[in-house]
Amino acid sequence: MSFDLQLIAESLPMMLMGIGITLKLLVISGILGLLLAICLLLMRISGRWYFNVPAQIYIYVFRGTPILVQIFIVYYGLPQFEAVRDSVFWPILREPTGCAILALSLNTGAYVSEILRGGVLGVDKGVLEAGSALGMSAHQKFIYITAPIATRLALPAYSNDVISLLKSTALASTITIADMTGIARTIVADTYAPYEIFISLAIIYMIFTFGLQKLFGVIERYLSRYTKREG
Amino acid sequence: MDVLTGWWDDYFWGALVVGKVFLCSLGLMILFGLLGAMAKLSNSRIAHKVAGAYTVVFRGTPEILVILLLYFGSAIILTSIAQVFNPEIKFVDVPPFWAGTIAISIIVGSYATETFRGAFLGVNPGSIEAARALGMSDLQTFIYVRIPEMWRLALPPFGNHMLSLVKDTALISIIGLNETMFVAKQAITVTGKPFTMYIVVGAIYLGFSTLVTLFVMGVEKFGERTTVGAK
Repeated sequence: MSFDLQLIAESLPMMLMGIGITLKLLVISGILGLLLAICLLLMRISGRWYFNVPAQIYIYVFRGTPILVQIFIVYYGLPQFEAVRDSVFWPILREPTGCAILALSLNTGAYVSEILRGGVLGVDKGVLEAGSALGMSAHQKFIYITAPIATRLALPAYSNDVISLLKSTALASTITIADMTGIARTIVADTYAPYEIFISLAIIYMIFTFGLQKLFGVIERYLSRYTKREG
Repeated sequence: MDVLTGWWDDYFWGALVVGKVFLCSLGLMILFGLLGAMAKLSNSRIAHKVAGAYTVVFRGTPEILVILLLYFGSAIILTSIAQVFNPEIKFVDVPPFWAGTIAISIIVGSYATETFRGAFLGVNPGSIEAARALGMSDLQTFIYVRIPEMWRLALPPFGNHMLSLVKDTALISIIGLNETMFVAKQAITVTGKPFTMYIVVGAIYLGFSTLVTLFVMGVEKFGERTTVGAK
């Protein structure tokens, strides 16, 4: 067994062609998932059972099942119904990319909403009392006090979730999408050189993860510029 | 529900495989996590570096990539070894069960490493001093003081790692493990009802996740029985 460096040099540009799709999956499902998470969070903290209970069930189901199963249900499962094939969403659901984005957003939304809720629960009671004392309404308190502080508290956990979303995008390769992993799997099927291809791809993903960590580090420092420095 | 007639037993055996993967990977995950944590806490610079690399690599790479690499990579090594003895042999592989189980325990073990490290650091120094004062040896301190205090601290995140193991089992179907995803694929080719079949898979995984969550809650209660009121 030898390590074929020339093969890596040849296949690296091919794998990097999939970077666009990986990024597209990450960014679009990241944004949609965040919006969904905010809706779920508002439902959870609304204090009304008919909002709270459905949100809790949603989170329980999507956090309790594997993301691969969710992707397969959306991609292979939904077309079982006539109604889905006739609906306006069919152009999106017909495409594997649309299905992957939908499944990834639904999945990450459930995780992120719990992270955000942790942030909201972590907001100090004292500042909210101060808000009440200033005569702020519940909405004003949420927008001007809870939301900014909760964002800062939730950010470290959120960055971890974005990284696991990045790793989940690799599963798009199981429904024929040619993202970086999909291309790598095709190359391995042709050349049968799993070490060279998969290890170099792993390094690309690690660089990606590292970049995301740095990015969130910058955001975190920006958001906590008014807070007292610890230690 | 009629379409499911005749498939229940296949799903049952598939679920049994999921359970087996879970139990085997749980043991290995704890082992990897403890080894990693001890390496990180040791004074040896080399052990420190190795454990650091371990957590960076496996937390930054998609799970599916590790599974594919371990399966195809080990198959290449085994095949080349086998060909030394018998050139007729074309392909030898590690059973997908073990390749997959080891892969997911390595991955989740890298997360457990951080959890265990944090928990060991969280052990009250006063308890350790008290043990010393009582004349306990290092080994006794480890078994009677560090471990009992540490596992209570590690339990909540450790429960999440157990859930990850359950959910990652679905990924092993990609390399041909005959668990529930695999059963669903067979059932779909016969019945043509992908949605129904994958929903059953989701329900089985949800059942496993629920069991694990309940188990962790029970253990948490058990762990608190002697500490209630001490806070």
